[in-house]
Amino acid sequence: MDDLLADFVAETREMLEASEGEIIAWEADPTDTSRVDTIFRFVHTVKGNCGFFDFPRLAGLSHAAEDALADCRAGRRDPDASLVSAVLAIIDRISLMVDAIETGQPFAEEGDEALIAALGNDTQTGMDTVDAAPTAAQPPAHAPANSILGSYDNSDEAEQALKPDAALPVQRSIRLPVDLLDRVMSGVSDMVLARNDLGHRLRQAGTQPTINGPFERLTTILSDVRDAITRMRMQRIETVFAALPRLVRDLSAELGKQVMIDLEGGDVELDREMVEMVRDPLTHIIRNAIDHGMETPSDRLRKGKREIGLLSIAARQSGNTISIVVNDDGRGLDEEKIAAKAVSTKLVTSAQLANMSRESILQLIFEPGFSTADEVSNVSGRGVGLDVVRDNLQKVGGSIKVSSQPDVGTLFTLQIPLTLSIIAGLTVEVKDQRFAIPQSYIEEIIHSSAKALDFNRVGETALVTFRGQRVACLMLSEVLGLDTDDIAEGEHTMVLLRLASGDLFAIAVDNIHTHGDLVVKPLAPAVMRSGYYAGSTLLDDGQPILLLDVTNIASEYGLVSDARTRVLQTPENAAAEADKDIQRAMLFTDFDNRRCAVRLELVKRIETAPASAIDLSGAKPRAVIDHMILPVIGLPNGQIPLEKIRLLRLSDGDCELLYAVREIDDAVELTAALRPAQDDPLIEAITLVDEKTVSLIDGHELFSRFGEPPEVTAKPLCRLPGSEWARTILGPLVTSAGYEIADNASVPRDDGSEVCIMLEEEYEAAEALEMPLAGPVIRLRNLPQATPGTETIYRYDRDALVNALQTARIQGGKR
Amino acid sequence: MTDLMVMAQIAGRRCALHASDVQSVIELGAITPVPRTPDFITGITALRSQALTVIDCRRALGFPANDWNTDSRAAVVSVDGYSYALVIDAIEDITTSLGEIQQITGGFGKEWSRVATGMIETASGPALLINLAALIAGPDDSFGELSSAA
Repeated sequence: MDDLLADFVAETREMLEASEGEIIAWEADPTDTSRVDTIFRFVHTVKGNCGFFDFPRLAGLSHAAEDALADCRAGRRDPDASLVSAVLAIIDRISLMVDAIETGQPFAEEGDEALIAALGNDTQTGMDTVDAAPTAAQPPAHAPANSILGSYDNSDEAEQALKPDAALPVQRSIRLPVDLLDRVMSGVSDMVLARNDLGHRLRQAGTQPTINGPFERLTTILSDVRDAITRMRMQRIETVFAALPRLVRDLSAELGKQVMIDLEGGDVELDREMVEMVRDPLTHIIRNAIDHGMETPSDRLRKGKREIGLLSIAARQSGNTISIVVNDDGRGLDEEKIAAKAVSTKLVTSAQLANMSRESILQLIFEPGFSTADEVSNVSGRGVGLDVVRDNLQKVGGSIKVSSQPDVGTLFTLQIPLTLSIIAGLTVEVKDQRFAIPQSYIEEIIHSSAKALDFNRVGETALVTFRGQRVACLMLSEVLGLDTDDIAEGEHTMVLLRLASGDLFAIAVDNIHTHGDLVVKPLAPAVMRSGYYAGSTLLDDGQPILLLDVTNIASEYGLVSDARTRVLQTPENAAAEADKDIQRAMLFTDFDNRRCAVRLELVKRIETAPASAIDLSGAKPRAVIDHMILPVIGLPNGQIPLEKIRLLRLSDGDCELLYAVREIDDAVELTAALRPAQDDPLIEAITLVDEKTVSLIDGHELFSRFGEPPEVTAKPLCRLPGSEWARTILGPLVTSAGYEIADNASVPRDDGSEVCIMLEEEYEAAEALEMPLAGPVIRLRNLPQATPGTETIYRYDRDALVNALQTARIQGGKR
Repeated sequence: MTDLMVMAQIAGRRCALHASDVQSVIELGAITPVPRTPDFITGITALRSQALTVIDCRRALGFPANDWNTDSRAAVVSVDGYSYALVIDAIEDITTSLGEIQQITGGFGKEWSRVATGMIETASGPALLINLAALIAGPDDSFGELSSAA
């Protein structure tokens, strides 16, 4: 929240600086209404931002100024010198308050009313004025406001309160040209590529301790620098999202509605400039959704909906576009009302309207001057409408679309471009060529020969069954017009993708390569025009590959549905299910640097193995631990960066597997609530440990996918008596029991790793001669009846023999 | 008007490019093909951390690709903020232009008129001055007709 506040202060200052010239010009000539726009936008933004924070006084002031200015713009009022000075006084006061907010100083309480009164709004009629006055007069209601803009004891001299306290630290910032940042950023990307190249050569040259040390250090420094540089330009959209729950809560309370907000994709990063760009449009759409879209709880119940409305906001990234989807399950847009309004405001003629599709009628809400609101409220309908939102987005090359179904909901899709972005992506291969897919779309990767998938062709369309749902499947090679594959249909690897709209589809590829950060670069227009690509990115070896435009490909194939309400699991139930008793878990960091936890019952042991012990040659990585072959998961892609690797040996009683981890942290108690995770099936829930999020591994899912009964590596040896009978009759039996027959000429091993079968006479002879016997001995007798006092097995008692061999093997395995 | 010109052979003809447009001349390394794009786009290649779109100039003019041998070198140019690597027959020289751009009655032939700004005299003889944007737009673009009409 501190970052947000700093952003707010910086933004307000910036706008203030920018509008300073306008203010002076307006002061010189109050009749020049063209100046009013900038100033209006300033107070409007301040008012809007106050919705994020709890600054009722700032909101009151800016709201009052906005009202007066809105009247001027609408021509309801002629600005005169007294109005100008009143507005300017308010702007000065806002500026002082912002200073106070930054330094955390208290601010004199008195004076706001006088400033607002000076605007002379009271002489005007209109409900805005009615709202404005009580808002301003209200005492600060909430704790944060009290602490920041709280009452200042008894001094009424504002100046005294305003002196900044030098001891209070203020976050320092400077402004830099974006060009320069871009240059630095591309330089660092070059450095990363050069480092990877160097790393590759070092590996080829073999281990060189004198070079490897400094090289590791270089790597660490470089990744730090890269991280910092990235952060210079990029910002998580979380900074915008963080403020939304509050906004929604306040708004819905104000409007007597119940709205629950569901945010997704907060980790999507975008350019700082773009973050600023989306803030206003997003706020606007949310305000509209709650004000116009959501029904009151009683209306909702009457319609058979849940009392609480759901507003879900999801951000997804695809190459150099970000889509933000705002979906509400309210009453939806009223096509007829929009049409009627459009005709009455002469936006379109009735004849034109008759030829318009429902879809295009809905888009009319973005036309200037359009508002279906019957009355202007404090929340929306003030003329800064969706047309402004659309214009602002278009200015930066973005777009906005709406789709809606009556009583089902409304879905706004904002597309925002990115100038430069680093995204997590997956590289896939088809026909020996690699392509990248943004990670944010990827739901799951499944090898389609897996029985779960059930590949089918229906007409020309391929379908796979994913968790009981038929999902359309595109063959990437067909999509890209490459030759048909040699790989048999249904033997591909399927990448299941989920679009921002919630639609799911699969893409079949030949192979999956690495996960990793991709620096996405724009492509030339001629290439972009094809519609298949969103950008290009460089592999570690410097080879460029193309980033697929998943959304566009999906819509090309008609896989994107219209407005739809996402069927969400009822959160209450899900939470109740996941919220079990206190559990102990092993905390670790995996190779994706995720903090994970796994239930302690599952952890059998922590193993440390040399990286060379892991066999990457097969379809699945495996490692040999204690003569057991075990599947390994959680490995980083490509080379294992460490000489020794820590492995959690997990067991569910029957099956075992190894989970490769970067670091093992601690065994902890999971006390915080477990929030079910929806996007990764291997993650059962997200919880908090020491105030940090931790993903709890779903043991059941893990074992159902990767668990295997351990396979013993080397077959134990069995030494047989040297007779024809032993070779022909006993030999096959011993082999089928999982033993290898020892060569009688070989020297017996003394470590007890072999079993010896001896005939009674041989054993007695050996004992008499005090010959050393290696390992357990199974003694065979010739007669069915046992001689009392000796542990022998009748040589044709097959069951007893097999049992004895198995017992011997288990003993051997434990050694 | 004297400008520095990069003299190049494209499809067997001598052409001039403004030296200020040519960022560098590179050896073409591995080219990643770009499926589903017009065939004059050979693919993309990397110049340090920058991705270049590789344009086959012969095809971009509308000529068949195999009639002329090409150099392994390509000229890197920048148009509208995007960088391209132009596959040409050969880079000949860097020289200065002499005099103004001239038009010739009857034009330069269908393919060439579309991409030519005009004829320019240089220290090493006359050459066709190439309009890079028109060249990069490829044979099917209306942009070429507009510029030749102008």
